[in-house]
Amino acid sequence: MSEDKGREPGSKQIRENDIMGRSTARTTPAVKTHAEPTRLAGTALAAALALSALTATARAEYPDRPITLVVAYGAGGATDIAARNLAAVAPKYIPQPVLVVNRTGAGGATGTASVKSADPDGYTMVVARVGSHTVNPAMKETLPYTIEDFRYVGVFEINPVICATAASSGIDSMDALIGKIEASPGEVTYSSSGVGSLLHIAGALVIDAFGVENVTEAITHLPFRGGGEAATAVLGGNATFICTNSSALMGQIEAGGLKPLLVTTKERMEGVDAPTVAELGHPELEALVGWSGIAGPKDIPDEVHDAWSGWLDQIVADEEFRKSLIALGSIPVSMDTKESVAFIDNQYEVFKGLVDKLGMRIE
Amino acid sequence: MSAYDAFLGAFALVAQLDNVLALALGVVVGVIVGAVPGMSATMAVALALPFTFTLDPIVGILMLIGVYKGGIYGGSIPAILIKTPGTPASSCTVLDGHPMAERGEAGKALEMSLYASCIADMISNLSLILFAAWLAAFALSFGPPEYFTLILFSLTIIAGVAGDTLLKGLISAGFGLLLATVGLDLVYGTDRFIFGEADLMSGLNFIPVLIGLFAIPEVLLQCTRGDDEIGRVARLGRSHVTLAEMRRCLRSIFKSSLIGVLMGAIPGIGGAPAAFMAYGEARRSSPNAANFGRGELEGVAASEAGNNGVCGATMIPLLALGIPGDVITAVILGAFMVHGLQPGPLLFQQNIVVVYAIFIGIMLSSVFLFATGMIAIRAFRRVADIPKSILLPAVLTLCVFGAYAVNNTMFDVAVMFATGLFGYFMVRVGMPAAPFLIAFILGPMLEDNFRQGMLMGQSDFSIFFRSPITWFFWALTAATVALLVWQGRKGRIVPAG
Repeated sequence: MSEDKGREPGSKQIRENDIMGRSTARTTPAVKTHAEPTRLAGTALAAALALSALTATARAEYPDRPITLVVAYGAGGATDIAARNLAAVAPKYIPQPVLVVNRTGAGGATGTASVKSADPDGYTMVVARVGSHTVNPAMKETLPYTIEDFRYVGVFEINPVICATAASSGIDSMDALIGKIEASPGEVTYSSSGVGSLLHIAGALVIDAFGVENVTEAITHLPFRGGGEAATAVLGGNATFICTNSSALMGQIEAGGLKPLLVTTKERMEGVDAPTVAELGHPELEALVGWSGIAGPKDIPDEVHDAWSGWLDQIVADEEFRKSLIALGSIPVSMDTKESVAFIDNQYEVFKGLVDKLGMRIE
Repeated sequence: MSAYDAFLGAFALVAQLDNVLALALGVVVGVIVGAVPGMSATMAVALALPFTFTLDPIVGILMLIGVYKGGIYGGSIPAILIKTPGTPASSCTVLDGHPMAERGEAGKALEMSLYASCIADMISNLSLILFAAWLAAFALSFGPPEYFTLILFSLTIIAGVAGDTLLKGLISAGFGLLLATVGLDLVYGTDRFIFGEADLMSGLNFIPVLIGLFAIPEVLLQCTRGDDEIGRVARLGRSHVTLAEMRRCLRSIFKSSLIGVLMGAIPGIGGAPAAFMAYGEARRSSPNAANFGRGELEGVAASEAGNNGVCGATMIPLLALGIPGDVITAVILGAFMVHGLQPGPLLFQQNIVVVYAIFIGIMLSSVFLFATGMIAIRAFRRVADIPKSILLPAVLTLCVFGAYAVNNTMFDVAVMFATGLFGYFMVRVGMPAAPFLIAFILGPMLEDNFRQGMLMGQSDFSIFFRSPITWFFWALTAATVALLVWQGRKGRIVPAG
């Protein structure tokens, strides 16, 4: 019911997309060639089936109407921009419009839960994200969903993590940071965009890996409402350090306001004067990355899954899509469903292990 | 490259027909979207973002800035005409704008709102251009303890907008605080008052509560009144702001603009609190203080100057430090990054032409805002001429649409109606709605910053006295409370408490 209503404001949005959308010259023919025959075929098929009486809609070829892509985070955030990038190139490959819908709140739980209970017909999909699909499930007891409630299509982008302090703090290496933590337990703070966010678990995971005992006592978690506020807190000296997606910190690092301490990529990052976790002797921290992927409710049929799988491959290979993701500091990746699920499961286990060890579970 | 060369280069970048058109289009789209209740300026900017990807960086960024400014101004139109703020930032405008419209001065209120917005916008832009570095340093000196004392001071505004009875105002504020606690605990992430509902986990959304609180009671009241006063309404919307009135309000406009600039430069405060703060200050210092809340022109001027003063200034932390102060500038930051530009100190060194081009464009956007606003007023003032039998159902439809559009769920529509019934009850018992709203906005900010401060100071209260800024706001708060008590003693009947 709510879905029916959802299409009205949404479809208006896509009309604007068609009129004002990017590269009209290129996309318009693509839309035409794809859409017209499908719509004709769909109509013909539907008409035929209506005549022969039964279940017309279930038989029509997927997709025969616009697809809603739920983003469980706010407009303008990293997830939202990734999704909108995806929706912008989608008309080249997906015969129906993809409508990005933000359903925000509770660290991504509200929107994610709404997709879990949506009809598994493939017309409501979700952008799965590190916070909503591994950190939150690992931490929060009362979450209204689990990672098994979704059927994953694939991960399409990865965001490496950087830990950084304010350049003015005088802490210029992980050793110095650990030294400070051990000298005065509880005084060192790390900022995050909220309980259950990647930043929340990242700070604890890194410090734990570096051998500090009793991490939740040794460092103080300072939650803010949003990544921007969290980074500002470090820059202004109100929090000691932050571990978050590289894209959120690059500007400050280049400008010299923040001092990077480590990166979780395999190789050193361009423009970031900091060692990799492997160089520091903790290659296990390479699991600490942000990511986005596409998923649907658990019971979406194979037909939907396979269609999305094909589209996602094409979209990730699309030059325009890659360019905009890279500009935002993400690494586009092409992972099939099996790899994606293994990746997500592994990260979930790493996080859950830490949560159990440190007693970070939220009840 | 000399500054002069850079300026010429920047001028050449901006002074092209399609760039100017993009900026104008941005403002127009912003005003329209901002005028639709429920569609906030933030959503307008986010929706416009993908369209800018293929544009030239300068054009794209200027277009987004245009949408932002237009959106913040546009919100005041329905706030005045149908008592439904188009964006949260305009909620304060309702207090005096709507009573004016009811009195048959919709045109005057709309005009004043536009003048105040444009003047504030100009001042805000100039502050960005002239004092960006200084204001950015000031903004960075705000940590949780400073925010806490600032917001504590802002809460004293409640006493000002409580109307005749402070006690009812405080009860109203208490309800606001109570509803604001619903959702997840900031520090522990535990559930508060969610009763097992996944929808309540994210707390009550601001916009449905806002619409419910103001628009629904209004619709209900008008319905129960039952008369369709076509004759009376037809006279509406013919009044204009006179020169004398403009002169009278100018002091408040300037002061409110400065408050807006400061609030805008500090990341994370936003338009709504800035408007309330400006309103509170204007009321405190105005000779017409008693008329505030009953349709005082100066009140409209103050709140609109306050919220538009924020616009240019929010670009300060973004451009000077690379920090997005709010969601809107976060989206604009995204637009910079998509084009391979990184805002921050380096931008001024490496891409000064881009910076200057943005400065030129941002000044130009104020002009477009004025032109668009004049046209919009002409178009919208006729709303006041529509008979109630048509207007009220239309308003109700808009309210439902607005509440739904925020998060695309029917749950928010239910929240809107529930708050609406409560708002109707409040009107009936003579309880003012403004304190509810202020507490609902500021309460969570107060709590968050208090708890962050306590975490930072390891539960030592002395952190709230750590800097001159905190002392300044403590002193202001103490002085304001003392003044209120003194005024109360002096004879105005204020119930103890």
